[in-house]
Amino acid sequence: MSEETKALESMIGEEYKYGFTTDVEYEEFPKGINEDIIRELSARKEEPEWMLEFRLKSYRAWREMEEPDWFNATYKKPDFENLLYYSAPKKKPKLDSMDEVDPKIRETYEKLGIPLEEQKMLSGVAVDAVFDSVSVFTSFKEKLAEAGVIFCSISEAIREYPELVKKYIGSVVPARDNFYAALNSAVFSDGSFCFIPKNTKCPMELSTYFRINNMESGQFERTLIVAEEGASVSYLEGCTAPMYDENQLHAAVVELVALDDADIKYSTIQNWYSGDEEGKGGIYNFVTKRGICKGKNSKISWTQLETGSAVTLKYPSVILQGDNSIGEFYSVAVTTKKQQADTGTKMIHLGKNTRSTIISKGISAGQSNNSYRGEVKVGKNAKGAKNYSVCDSMLIGQECGAHTFPYISSENASSSVEHEATTSRVGEEQIFYLMQRGISEQDAISMIINGFVKDVLKELPLEFAVEANKLLDVKLEGSVG
Amino acid sequence: MSEVLAKDTILSYIGSEIESKASSVSIRAINERGREAVEKTAFPTKKDEDWRFINLKSITKNSFVSVNDAGVKDAGDISGHYLPEALNTRLVFVNGVYNETLSSVDGLPKGVIVGNLSEYADHETVKEYLGTITNYEDDVFAPFNDAVFSDGTFIYVPEETTVEAPIHILNVFTDAEKPFFATPRLLFVGEMYSKATIIEEHIGLSNNAYLNVPVTEFKLFSGAHVHHARIQRDSKTASHVSRPIAMLDGHAEYHSYTICLGAKLFRNDPRVIQNAEEVDFTVDGLVLIDGEQIADTHSIMDHRFAHGRSHQLHKCVINDEAHSIFNGKIFVAKDAQKIDSFQENRNLLLSDDGKVNTKPQLEIFADDVLCSHGATIGQLSDEEVFYLHSRGLTEQKSRELLVYAFALESVESMEVESVEKLLLDEVIKYTTRD
Repeated sequence: MSEETKALESMIGEEYKYGFTTDVEYEEFPKGINEDIIRELSARKEEPEWMLEFRLKSYRAWREMEEPDWFNATYKKPDFENLLYYSAPKKKPKLDSMDEVDPKIRETYEKLGIPLEEQKMLSGVAVDAVFDSVSVFTSFKEKLAEAGVIFCSISEAIREYPELVKKYIGSVVPARDNFYAALNSAVFSDGSFCFIPKNTKCPMELSTYFRINNMESGQFERTLIVAEEGASVSYLEGCTAPMYDENQLHAAVVELVALDDADIKYSTIQNWYSGDEEGKGGIYNFVTKRGICKGKNSKISWTQLETGSAVTLKYPSVILQGDNSIGEFYSVAVTTKKQQADTGTKMIHLGKNTRSTIISKGISAGQSNNSYRGEVKVGKNAKGAKNYSVCDSMLIGQECGAHTFPYISSENASSSVEHEATTSRVGEEQIFYLMQRGISEQDAISMIINGFVKDVLKELPLEFAVEANKLLDVKLEGSVG
Repeated sequence: MSEVLAKDTILSYIGSEIESKASSVSIRAINERGREAVEKTAFPTKKDEDWRFINLKSITKNSFVSVNDAGVKDAGDISGHYLPEALNTRLVFVNGVYNETLSSVDGLPKGVIVGNLSEYADHETVKEYLGTITNYEDDVFAPFNDAVFSDGTFIYVPEETTVEAPIHILNVFTDAEKPFFATPRLLFVGEMYSKATIIEEHIGLSNNAYLNVPVTEFKLFSGAHVHHARIQRDSKTASHVSRPIAMLDGHAEYHSYTICLGAKLFRNDPRVIQNAEEVDFTVDGLVLIDGEQIADTHSIMDHRFAHGRSHQLHKCVINDEAHSIFNGKIFVAKDAQKIDSFQENRNLLLSDDGKVNTKPQLEIFADDVLCSHGATIGQLSDEEVFYLHSRGLTEQKSRELLVYAFALESVESMEVESVEKLLLDEVIKYTTRD
C-alpha cells in the first residue's frame, strides 16, 4: 500500500473519531426512536430546516413500513426501540502496549500483515504522533481542494454545501425505498460526501475506514458521491482488519450519481465481526447501495469483497438511465462458521445501448449459507441493451449451502441477456495435481480458491487486492479438509 | 348449480356447492382431503413469489361451471388426432369425462393396465398411490383437482414388462355454451424394470374458454424407465394449470417433455423427486407463444439422495404481446452428494411487445456436486439471417427457418415418430407468419 494512501486512510479513520469526541457531552441521549429524538439529533448536528424535514418525512414513511423477510436468512430481528440513534462513542480503554491486546486478535493482525502502528490504532493502543497528526490530513485536503474535489463528512457537507447535498441526497435511494433505507434517512449519524466537478479526474483514490465503535448503537452511515460531466473517481470503503463487537445493526445507504461521461468506481472490503463458532454475536449488515448512470456514456462499477458480518443483506445496484452507460458488479462473498449472506446486484436498463456485467463468486464453508440474489431488468426503451452475468459458487464442507436467485426480465426484442451459474466444490483432482507437485494441501486449496476469485480481485485497487488475498487465506484457514 | 373459480377464491364455491360425484370410497376420501386443503389456502396473488409475474385475469375474471351444466357440444369425429402407433393403446377423455367408445386398449402386454380410474378405484395399487405423490405447498390448484375429480387414467406396468406401443392419453375439449372446468387425472405406476412411453395430449377442438386443471402422478420403482411427452394444444382462450409430479426410486429413469402451443394462460409446475440413489431424469420444455398468450413454468428438480443426474432444457419463443415466465429450481439436499444437474433456459424474443421473465434457481446443501444453470434472452443473430438471406431466401423466410431450427432441438427428443411429425407441423404453423 502506498504511504500516501495508507496515511490518508488512517487519517480519515481518525477524523471520524474526532467528529464524535467533540460531542462527548451528549452521551446521555435516550434510547429508542421518535420524532423528538430526530428533532434533537438534527438540532445537535446544527442541520438546516430542509434536512430535518427530510429526516421526519423518512421517519414517518418508515413507521408505516414492515420489516422485510423475503431473504434467505434467519436472525433475531433488531429491537429498534432499544437502539441508541445518536451517541458519541464511549472512549475505549486506552491500552499501553500491544501485549495487552487479545492474543487471538494479534494473531489475525499478523497473518494479515497489518503494520504494527496500524495494529495499535485498530486495537485502541495509544498511537504514534505521525498517525494522529492533523497536518498530514490537511495536506491531502489541500491537494483535493486544488483539484476542486470536495471530500468531507456528510454532516460538514450539509453545513458547507447545502445546495449540493439537497439536490442529490435521496435522489437515488428515496426515503421510501425500503425499510432500512427509510430508517437510515431518518436517523443517519454521519458518513462521507464526495463531489467531483466537471472534467476532473480525482487526483487520488479516496478511502475511508468504517468503524462500529459503540455497543448497542445502530450504525447509520450515509454516503453520497456525485461525479459531474466527465469526472472520474475511485472510492474505497472498509478495511481488511477484523472488527470485534457485539451484535449490531448496520444500515447504511450509499448513493452514487454519475452525469454524462462520468466514471465512478466503488470498492468495498467488509470484514466485520461475524460472530463466534456458535453463531452468537456478529454484525447485521443491511446496506442499501445504489448508483445511477444519469448521463450518457457514464459508468458505475461496484467491486466488493464480503467476508465479515453475521448476516449480510446487500444488493449494490446500478440504474442505467443514460444512453450507452455501463454498469459493473464484481463480488466475492465468503461465508464461514454460521454466517449468512444474501447478496447480489440489480442492473436496471433504461437507456439505449446500455451494458452491464455481473461477476459474482460465492464461497461457503462451515455451516454458513451464501445466496446470490440478482435482478437484470431490461426496459422497453433500452434498445440494444446487453447484459452478461456469471455467478459461481464453491462449497467447502458438507454442512454449508449455496443458493442462486437470479431474476431476469426483458421487454424488448433488440436486447440480449446472458446468465450462467455453477455450483461445485474444490476439485479433488486439482488438489491432487498440485500436491504431487510438492505443494501442501492447504496451499493447494488456497491457490485454487485464489484462482476462483481472480476475476473479481483483479478489479480491486492494487493495495486492496494484496490484502484481500491474504484475508481470504486467513478466513478459510482450517475450513477445508 | 355451481359456478367455480370466480374472482376471489375457489373455496367458497366448491366448499358449499360441489358434491363429490365419485362412486368409490377411496376417491371420495381424496375429494374430501382436497376440499379441506382448498378451504385453508388463499387464492394466489401477485404478492406471492411464485405468482409474481403472471396475470391470472383469464381465470379470475371468468366463471366456470361444471361440465354437466355447461351445455357441451359433441366431440364429432376426432380420429384425426389418433396416433397410428397407439391405435390400440389409447384412452380418450372428452371434456374430462372418460369415453369408452373412442378408447381402445386391446394392444397391451399381459398384466399391463391402461384404464379409467373409477373402474380401478379398488385396485390395490390405486388405493396405495393415488393422491399420495402430489405435494404442492400452499397450492390451490392441485387440491382443487383433488376435491372434484371423479375419474381419470390409471396406468400400471408390471415388473420387467415393456410396453412397446406408446400409450396415448387424449384429452379433447369441445365447444360449450358456458365456460366449464375440467380436472383430468393420471396415475402411473411402473414396477421394477418396466418400460413405457406416455403421450399425454390436451386438445381444444373449438375456440372456447375453459379451465383445464390436470394432475398427473408418476411412481417409478427401481429401474423403471418412462418417456412422458405432454402436448398442450388447448384452445387459445382456455386456461391450463397443470401439476405433473414424478417420484423416482433408485436407478429409475424419467424423461419428460412439455410442449406448450395453446391456451391463453398456461401454468405448469412439473416436479421430479429423487427418492433413492442413482436416478436420471429430464424436465424439458418447449414454449411457442404469440398473440396475448402467457406461459409460465415453475419446475423443481428435487435431489434428495446421492448420485443423481438431471437435465433441463427449457426453450421459449415469444412473439407479439406474449409473455413467458420461467422459474426452474434445482434442489440438492444435505448429503445428496455426486449430483450432476444442468438447467438451461433459452428465450427467443421476437417482438418489442413481448416480455420474458426468467429466474433459474439453485439451492444446494451438499458440497460434492456439479450443478449449473444458464439463461439467455435474445433475438435471432443478424449474421445468421444475413447468411441465409445471401443464399437467396427472403428475409422473412430466413427468420422463419432460424426460429424453426431453434425449436427443432426440443422436438427431436420425441421418441414417437408421428408425434415428432405432428410437432414439426405445429412449429411450421407457428413460424410461418403472413
